Amino acid sequence: MSLELEKVSILKQGSTIFDPVNLVIKPGEIATIMGPSRCGKSTLLSAVSGSLDAVFTLKGSIFLYGRDMLTLPMEKRNIGILFQDDLLFPHMDIGSNLAFAIKEKTSRAQRNTLIDKALKTAGLKGFEKRDPSSLSGGQKARISLLRSLLAKPSALLLDEPFSKLDQTLKAKIRPFVFSQIKKMNIPALLVTHDPMDCPEGGVILNLNKEKG
Amino acid sequence: MSGQAKGRIFPVVVISLFCVVILAGLFGTLLPSMNYLPVIGHTHVSLSVWFDFFSYPGIQTAIRVTLFSGLTASFGVVCLGFLFITFSYGNALWKFFEKILSPVLSIPHAAFAIGFGFLIAPSGWLIRMVSPKMTGFTVPPDWIILNDPLGISLSIALMIKEFPFLIMVTMGALGQLDIKKTLLVGRALGYTKEQIWLKILIPRLYPHLRLSIFAVIAYSLSVADMAIILGPSSPPSLSVLILKWFNDPVMSFKLLAAAGSLFLFFMVVLSILCVYLIERSARVFLRPWTTSGKRRSFLSPLKPIIFFMGSGILFFTAVSSVILVIWSLTWQWRFPDFLPTAWTLKLWTKGLMSSFDPVMTTLLTGVASAFIGLILTVGCLEHEVAAGKTRTRNYTGYIHYFLYLPLLVPQITFMAGIQLLLVITKMDGYWITLMVSHLLFVLPYMFIALSATYLAFDGRMTDQAMVLKRSYTSVLFRIKLPMLIKPILFSFAIGFSVSVAQYIPTMLVGAGRFSTITTEVVSIASGSDRRAIAVYALIQQFLPMMMYALAIIIPKSLYYNRKGMQV
Repeated sequence: MSLELEKVSILKQGSTIFDPVNLVIKPGEIATIMGPSRCGKSTLLSAVSGSLDAVFTLKGSIFLYGRDMLTLPMEKRNIGILFQDDLLFPHMDIGSNLAFAIKEKTSRAQRNTLIDKALKTAGLKGFEKRDPSSLSGGQKARISLLRSLLAKPSALLLDEPFSKLDQTLKAKIRPFVFSQIKKMNIPALLVTHDPMDCPEGGVILNLNKEKG
Repeated sequence: MSGQAKGRIFPVVVISLFCVVILAGLFGTLLPSMNYLPVIGHTHVSLSVWFDFFSYPGIQTAIRVTLFSGLTASFGVVCLGFLFITFSYGNALWKFFEKILSPVLSIPHAAFAIGFGFLIAPSGWLIRMVSPKMTGFTVPPDWIILNDPLGISLSIALMIKEFPFLIMVTMGALGQLDIKKTLLVGRALGYTKEQIWLKILIPRLYPHLRLSIFAVIAYSLSVADMAIILGPSSPPSLSVLILKWFNDPVMSFKLLAAAGSLFLFFMVVLSILCVYLIERSARVFLRPWTTSGKRRSFLSPLKPIIFFMGSGILFFTAVSSVILVIWSLTWQWRFPDFLPTAWTLKLWTKGLMSSFDPVMTTLLTGVASAFIGLILTVGCLEHEVAAGKTRTRNYTGYIHYFLYLPLLVPQITFMAGIQLLLVITKMDGYWITLMVSHLLFVLPYMFIALSATYLAFDGRMTDQAMVLKRSYTSVLFRIKLPMLIKPILFSFAIGFSVSVAQYIPTMLVGAGRFSTITTEVVSIASGSDRRAIAVYALIQQFLPMMMYALAIIIPKSLYYNRKGMQV
């Protein structure tokens, strides 16, 4: 019981783009979907997040803690996403970017403590007033993750989140991301083409299509 | 690096033209407003003109009407525009707007105002549609809808006419924001699309639209042709009053006109300043709301209303053209009848003959100003391309800034000043000055229309051609410009249609010696024969449409056998 994909397949113009996927991800676990580019990895992810393009049709079912996701619009699914671009809002400072994610009915003081705490865990204490564009690639990636997590998602999707970072940075950011997910104890689904990105001990699924 | 980018003559010409004309125009109103106009023997500088201006009968009402109609129109159109994009971005109505934007924008203000008047008047088509069945009217009701003393019908018409302009500028600016990804990120954080637009995207969009919004304000406060047709008459709005003073045979009224147009300038500057301060404070005051975490949209109930208003704008625009066609073919049309009872082509034959001279002047002025505008636009853009390539000193930044100047200063202010200077130097009434006065407004729109596509042209194409041909001019004229024929002709058509629609410059700088179809339309609009008015308004509407049609047909027929040019 957590994030479950049952016989999920995606059709474009009547034909499936990959074989049906069955996957159960427990809280704190990170499952990885591998495959060459254009095999439909990101499309599968958008099916889970709820942003599937109208040219595709979805078959199968997706449950998150027993709730049927397919009947819900994207914003009601409570699933966070992390992209390869940091996508921080360039007109807001770091503090506002993070505050934007925190749910309603949290007092101003509580918000500030949450932001302060989050920044501390990422080693970025005191960054509240900074301009996003003044940050390094690694710093932006960490802030972007913090923002996703501050919304208290029930699951997290990672769409090639490290592919724009260089090797040394990747090696630093990966464990940070994975440890944060473990700490939050939520199921996570990672899509990548780089075998190095797979967390140790996680489920790995190769997305392919049987020929013929 | 040292040195300067090639072709700097073009931006220098444009910037100096704009600066000289606008400064001269302001100067030319300042002097007469201080009672200095030697031509009529006023050389004693004093404030007497200003006392005369403020004690002119009805002046307070005129100022109030101008402020009310101009500011409600600007405020309304900006709110509507933002709400429309919030609720409709990407949907079917939005896509439809995208398609029909240029024909809608090409409708001249005066022609639209006339058609709109024919719709909403007490004896207009809207009331005919429901009479006598639902209303019981067998004679038109004596309601004051047209030329209402508050200027409500004027401000509604302004809103309808400015809306497509704002949407066009918005569409241009949207390309610079990562809309799709931002919506994804926001929705993954639990926000609805509407909330993401209101909290994130519109604050990011606004800086791109700021100058256009200022231009809308300046235009709405100083509009004359639409105000003559739809606005109140006694007293009229300020710019109409200024025009009246200006054309008064008693020369001393020109002093009053100068003071009035300078006052209008202050009104515009003050309004723009207010809007700017509102923006600054909104950014501060709305911050807690932006980051409050509230994800529910309190505006959702507005969605059907906005959809209704968006479709309403399309409806009024389309139907105001249809009603012109009907009236132009009418022989007899009694009041509650839905359609005329007798039709004729007589009005057309008469109208086409009597409008021949003004149409020729319009064509000549429009083609000349759009052609010169095109040369200057391409020159400036080539300078920008060269500057980008060689990273040398250039005037690119200035151009983008100065181009908006003629759209931000009320037309009537600096046109009045220019005309007064021309009168003083006895150089008034030449066609060339009329054409240059049109060029001032043609150029900004042409530049805005062409720059994005022109600058996106694949530079490797010209590099390759340069290697083969080694001559800059031949590469420009034989490779680059032919490949860009579509956007170039399109921007030409926009320039032409801007020239056709000019009313104030033609009235003032033309000095009564030149009449275009637009000045004719406005002058007969006050007449009683709706059929003749409709013919003139349609001729005015037809000219720009013809140019747009050519801009579509010419590239298609030139390159009918080149698939790569059909996109």
